[in-house]
Amino acid sequence: MGMGYPPGGSLVTRIEVQRERRFVGYNARSIPLVYPGQEVLADQPVIRLELLQGGEQAQPDPPVVLPAGLRGQVVKTTARGGVIIQTRAAVLTGNIGAGQQVAGFLTLWQPTHSQPSPVPAGAILVIPGPASFAMLRQAVASGVVGIVAGSIEMRDFEGFLGLDAFDLLNSVDIDMAQARLPSLTLLFTQGLGSLSMPQSTFQLLTRYQGSIALLTGVTSTRYALSPELVISLPEAETQRNWQPSTYDPSLRLGSHVRVRSGANAGITGDIDYFFIHQHRFLSGVQGRAVRLRLADGNTMIVPIMNIERTP
Amino acid sequence: MQTEPYLGEGPGSTSSQNPASASSILVADCGTTFTKVSLLGLVEGQYRLIARGVSPTTFTSPTENVTRGIIQAINEIEYITGRRFVVEGQIVTPEDPSGDGVDLLVSTVSVGGPMRLVVLGGVTRELETLAAQSVSGLHAETYAIPAPSYCATMAPDALAAGVGARPSSSPSHPASWTPEQISAEWERQLARMRELQPHAALIVGLADNPAGASALQEACQLVIQTIKALSQQSESGTYQLPVLYAGAPQFVEAVRRMLNGYAEVTRVETLISQTQLGPVSMAASALYERDVIRRVPGYETLHSWSNAVPVGTASSLSSLVRFLAQHYAMNVTAVDVGSNNTTLMMAGERGEFIPLVNTGVGVGTGLGAILQQVGVRRIARWLPFTVSEEELRQFATNHMLHPQSLPTSQRELHLFQAFAREAIMLTRDAARGENFGQFEADLILATGAALAHAPKFGQAALMLLDALQPRGVTSLVLDRTMLISQLGAVATVAPVAAVQVNENDAVMHRLGTCVVPFGDLPQGQTAIRVGVEYSNGRQVTAEVMSGSIEIIPLKLNEQALLTLYPAPTVDVGLGPGERARAAEEIDGGLVGLIIDARGRPLSFSTNENERQARLLQWMQVIGA
Repeated sequence: MGMGYPPGGSLVTRIEVQRERRFVGYNARSIPLVYPGQEVLADQPVIRLELLQGGEQAQPDPPVVLPAGLRGQVVKTTARGGVIIQTRAAVLTGNIGAGQQVAGFLTLWQPTHSQPSPVPAGAILVIPGPASFAMLRQAVASGVVGIVAGSIEMRDFEGFLGLDAFDLLNSVDIDMAQARLPSLTLLFTQGLGSLSMPQSTFQLLTRYQGSIALLTGVTSTRYALSPELVISLPEAETQRNWQPSTYDPSLRLGSHVRVRSGANAGITGDIDYFFIHQHRFLSGVQGRAVRLRLADGNTMIVPIMNIERTP
Repeated sequence: MQTEPYLGEGPGSTSSQNPASASSILVADCGTTFTKVSLLGLVEGQYRLIARGVSPTTFTSPTENVTRGIIQAINEIEYITGRRFVVEGQIVTPEDPSGDGVDLLVSTVSVGGPMRLVVLGGVTRELETLAAQSVSGLHAETYAIPAPSYCATMAPDALAAGVGARPSSSPSHPASWTPEQISAEWERQLARMRELQPHAALIVGLADNPAGASALQEACQLVIQTIKALSQQSESGTYQLPVLYAGAPQFVEAVRRMLNGYAEVTRVETLISQTQLGPVSMAASALYERDVIRRVPGYETLHSWSNAVPVGTASSLSSLVRFLAQHYAMNVTAVDVGSNNTTLMMAGERGEFIPLVNTGVGVGTGLGAILQQVGVRRIARWLPFTVSEEELRQFATNHMLHPQSLPTSQRELHLFQAFAREAIMLTRDAARGENFGQFEADLILATGAALAHAPKFGQAALMLLDALQPRGVTSLVLDRTMLISQLGAVATVAPVAAVQVNENDAVMHRLGTCVVPFGDLPQGQTAIRVGVEYSNGRQVTAEVMSGSIEIIPLKLNEQALLTLYPAPTVDVGLGPGERARAAEEIDGGLVGLIIDARGRPLSFSTNENERQARLLQWMQVIGA
């Protein structure tokens, strides 16, 4: 069992993973509060921060501590003051995001113009549809720590972050890049655009509403990293006869998939045929292809490289 | 003879098979996005490409082992050929009488990102340029960070580009920096080093520089402080930063003492001029192989499978390009547009060689960098439709996040090819620089999926003509096999195979001979009259108007004699208005004889409708 990083755009409902809980920044030093082998709860402090001012250490008042964000067992502490926790969890990876690792409790949020919803501080908001610049600004002002949404338009994404998305995606020092961003961690399951998150994803997040989760928004094309939400499963779900769901990215007949790029991005269907020979598409490009059967009964031929498994 | 799976006992263990008598060779290339494996074998006594397999590169999570992608690509070859090459995750070797197994395996690598080399010490603009040139043929990037005390004593024009804010002064009277300014510069440089997370450092500077030994001393201090800072942020608590010392020889021992316990120091020749580029390049290349390539997950297994040490893809390509230039006694330009890098190599028949790997610029994960460097207008000028900045940015972002995706619509394909053009142009401009002048290629060789897998040969030809903008007479050849980047590595173990596959398969797709008149093309008039005399005696004459492209039919295996009659102010290589008659027959191609009279440099109408109409016209004529 390794670190377990399913690729972007996937949902694994039951998997055992290890994640490092750590502080990112050059102005403080992390002190682990736990030891290897110790069982921790999601809301339990596991790291204390000591501020560094002019090379001198200073204890902030009150002390700044970071909660685990995960329920599980401490595997080890790292040289940079992080804590690696092993947990049984559901893992959702997004297509694009931004922001540092945060822990918060999942809260569904479906604001409307007529009924603005209250926004609890310390929450990770779950928005099933696309998010907007206005929503993000409202969230920041309310003390929300993170947002998990279906998608966002590129101009809103860059406008909120105040930078060029390409710089963020290609940065060498990921930690430094995230440290300059607004203090709201973002994860968009469908990426850029106006798509809503898959129903199965929304159902899972609804099911675990109120749970504390660990959210990381880091997205890097340089290091092939995707944003991630890790929700430790309740104890009742992990005790008797617990079996992890096997993450299988391979495509087979009957696999439910989503088109992840191009004009048909977002469309979902089931694979009902694999073409042996390369198929020529409207662009003239040839490639291995599959035929999808859509929900309305129609079919569509798409490149194998353009689809991904969905839960 | 029973074939046993290879158990990976060490590099080159498969060399129990004499490379000279190898019947089959697997050639693997681990790119940023795709891993390609080609099977070479003997067909009627000649080495030929038998089959190819392609798979997404498995460099990152969840697989984190490049050999998995290689095996997946080999599985495709197994499916195509019906032969077995992998058993229980290991390469079967040697080939047995049934055809299962392979005699040799050769690999090239471009995954793993570029080597980031910081240039420290007494860094002038000249030294910065020399340092960049020394690694131009590698998958590497250089960043110049001159020492603060050196910055404080030098005139602005003499300094490398990486200097922070300076007090204003005239070049002949450099202003002195206050201690606060030096301190601020020091902090800025440390932050820059942390941001870059360099793989290696190159310390340069002569003893007689205005800052004296201080510049070299500060360079060492910067290395030490960087190692300390980045070690704290590292999960393992350590950070390696090897140093190449190419500064004043009298200070080398002092530098070793200062860095003792912190960094490994390798001395190379003091970098002063182009003469020292070779030693610096070799040292940098060794670091690249050790600290970048060897850290690719799965490298040890790949090395154990391979009959030669896995090398950088650019190094392999450079060997082939230089060979072609000398073998055919012509100027050769090779261009490879990849997902995250674009490579341009220019080799002259007299031994001149300019390699450039433009890291971070490509048509997959490198799309964003292209857009940032050239801007929306330069991309949009290649499109026969109107496009918004948002659409371009969204297209680039989505493809960066999903670089394996194929363009399925015409619109997407046009966008993709527009970016490919600009990737080549950026690389061409960087390669030419100020020192080489105009290099006119007799042969342009193109590879990389954007070119090699363009749906129509006319599209590939047009991309090359638009991006490289050659002049005079040149030949365009397309490497549809995408093998030329690996043949240099193949040549190290099976040179005969490399030569035969190159001639039989890799350079088979000749697009055609291209005539590009240049100079002052008369608007609205004939730029050039072309006379073609075919082998069967038939003669054709074509008058090509300025601003247009014309295709004269001349098929792949046809040849013809060519006579050129340029307009008085137009040149085809012999001077304005000078008639030219080829001494030998020219070759045809898959597109034909291309007469590109659009002018150099290419210009576009400011009227949007006219620009789009012209583009469509050019595309239609050339068959794009």
